Amino acid sequence: MIRLLKQLLDTGCKSQRTIINDLPNYALGLPAFALDKECTNGCKACVETCPTSAIEAVEADFSNIQLDLGACIGCNLCVETCPSGMLKSSLTTATSTDNRNDLVLGKLSSQIVDPGLNQKKKGIFKQSLAVRVVSTGCSACDLEIGAAFNPIFDASRFGLSLVASPRAADALLVTGPCPKGMHEPLRRTYEAMSEPKLVIACGSCAISGGIHKHGYAEANGLDSILPVDVYIPGCPPHPWSIIHGLQKAMSL
Amino acid sequence: MTPEIIRANIHQARSLIKAFLSKEHCRIGLMSSFTGQEIFFLLLDPTHSKSQILIVEIDGVNYTSFSDQFPQLHWYERSIKDFFDLTPLGHPRLRSNFVPSAFDIELAPLQMQLEFAPERKDRSRDFRFMKVAGEGIYEVPVGPVHAGIIEPGHFRLSCLGEYIQNLELRFGYLHRGVEKTITKMPWQKVRYVVEAASSDTACANAIAHARAIESLFDFDISESENLLRIAALETERVAMHIFDLGGMAVDLGCAGVASILSRLRGDALEIAERLSGSRFLRAFIVPGGSKFRGDNILDFKHIRSLIQPLALEIEFIVEWFLDNAQVAERLTGVGKISHNLAGDFGLVGVGARASGIAYDARAAYESAAYFRSNFKMALEENGDGDCLARTKIRFKELLNSLIILEDVLARLQEHDLTEFQANHVISALPVKLPENKVAFGITEAFRGELIHVVKTDAHGAIERYAIKDPSFNNWTAMAICARGNLLADFPICNKSFALSYSGHDL
Repeated sequence: MIRLLKQLLDTGCKSQRTIINDLPNYALGLPAFALDKECTNGCKACVETCPTSAIEAVEADFSNIQLDLGACIGCNLCVETCPSGMLKSSLTTATSTDNRNDLVLGKLSSQIVDPGLNQKKKGIFKQSLAVRVVSTGCSACDLEIGAAFNPIFDASRFGLSLVASPRAADALLVTGPCPKGMHEPLRRTYEAMSEPKLVIACGSCAISGGIHKHGYAEANGLDSILPVDVYIPGCPPHPWSIIHGLQKAMSL
Repeated sequence: MTPEIIRANIHQARSLIKAFLSKEHCRIGLMSSFTGQEIFFLLLDPTHSKSQILIVEIDGVNYTSFSDQFPQLHWYERSIKDFFDLTPLGHPRLRSNFVPSAFDIELAPLQMQLEFAPERKDRSRDFRFMKVAGEGIYEVPVGPVHAGIIEPGHFRLSCLGEYIQNLELRFGYLHRGVEKTITKMPWQKVRYVVEAASSDTACANAIAHARAIESLFDFDISESENLLRIAALETERVAMHIFDLGGMAVDLGCAGVASILSRLRGDALEIAERLSGSRFLRAFIVPGGSKFRGDNILDFKHIRSLIQPLALEIEFIVEWFLDNAQVAERLTGVGKISHNLAGDFGLVGVGARASGIAYDARAAYESAAYFRSNFKMALEENGDGDCLARTKIRFKELLNSLIILEDVLARLQEHDLTEFQANHVISALPVKLPENKVAFGITEAFRGELIHVVKTDAHGAIERYAIKDPSFNNWTAMAICARGNLLADFPICNKSFALSYSGHDL
């Protein structure tokens, strides 16, 4: 027991002091556009290589491309194949948004612009947010939500808590592409929550169906089932992105 | 690997399988169908690293169930019914592995005969739970939406007093149609779908997929690429075993231990991130090799220096946890699986080795690189397979994985990194898959044996892609081991197996 206490004292505080940190330089983030570069005319390498069809050409000559972070799985294949260097890996974790259209990047909106969370919060849940997690997917997002509440990221210090019942929850945090088998349980969980309530889609699958969309299992994301308030892109989102998204929900 | 193909009629198949299973260590890797006109069995002989695919043609829409003779096939026959609408006559308990209310009975997503429309007496995809009758019997339904952060699945517990009499599982909530999606896309993109089939096993899935595709081409990866794969696979095993041990600590009320282990899992994820750029080793293993990211980023020496401190901390805290009298009291004798039962139901992974079944796919099917890196199978020789045995096996494997990882990284350090750049991308392989060929990839994921089977059609497109997650073998054992235990011990039984829902449902 004494050894254990000594071990704990030696370890000290492991929580990160700065919050919503950028990813380390060896990590792969979500793609973004480099403003100083131009697309090679006629090149459609990124459109062809994307496994989830997250990149679309707006005009026929591929001079203007659109990137939907809500469908992106962060494989960075487009960044590797882009000959002009117009696509780059963005290391920011402040990626969540309350507007689905913000996730679609084009030439004019080259990356998600975070207005800053430290501005005055006006939401009803500005002090605390009780979150109920419903998983409908592959468990990577669930593991990252769990990690967001571990001693390193320690989401509890921001007034966030995970609760075991929808009755006690302010927000519903949904992961996974919401296949047919989960439509009914999701609706019933939502109905069991008391007003006011928020719905957060965590991960590319929950936002758009990700890699599973357009199948017979109708795993096309949460939007078609419940009204979504906050979107957290990533596959899976980094724990800081999840905390950013939950804080966004607190400011709504 | 490329299996030897044998064909037989249904009567010959029975005696062939019986004779095969009577040989030591021989097992059935997978039972499924390619097009809905036949049934195939993947027969594995781990001792000689051999494999066969036994194909049995089916006349019509029914066949005689194999489950009475080979209990481990009962779950596969359920899946074949769901995917191909082939009915096993005489199946002891035929239920749907899809959510009955969500999927139409007419749906047989992988059945390829267009005019296939069998006459049905019972038109519902009903799931009637087993009724346990008697005075004082009550039912406890759990799920699909659970209290913790966990995937959805439904458990129906029939109890008398505080004791569980029966536990029945109903899954399928996560059925996303992964195996169908794969057949509709170019093979170069399939690796992203298999990784997302069950992302806690992303790396093992990617390796099994890469091996299946490489076997189609008869392509061998280089020694250094293989080492990199071992490093990735063992990193995933380390991270997930820490997570599962932490989960066990949560369920036993040891919040302090759980908190320390969740922090240590973060250290393991850092190794994964430094290796591949992704905390879950996603998009890293590629058929033909792996995605090399430039020698200025990949610093094997630094990654290696992270392992020793992690190993010391884990060893200390988990030993303290397992030595604790209360922990031992809660785990001992709970959720027993006998050696015979584990064999009959074809258990894999931690669950099998805790019941004394000496099977680890790494020992049988990996290249020699594993043996040179101090791989030692964790086995409970006279194991009665209780929750304590499974937790101890998991702990032993975790420590062994850290030793392997350190050794492999040391050898990678000596390798010339330019080797990777020579064949690092998928372009090392031809654009088109060979026609009419069957191959499979096998690896030991952290839960156990993971198999991917791929079959191509006459045009070189993927006609059938089957994934067998280790959870598929082990869920039945979890349901059986809970019987006769306290209701309060059910979470411990569940956590001691730590199985995947998404890997089962696909």
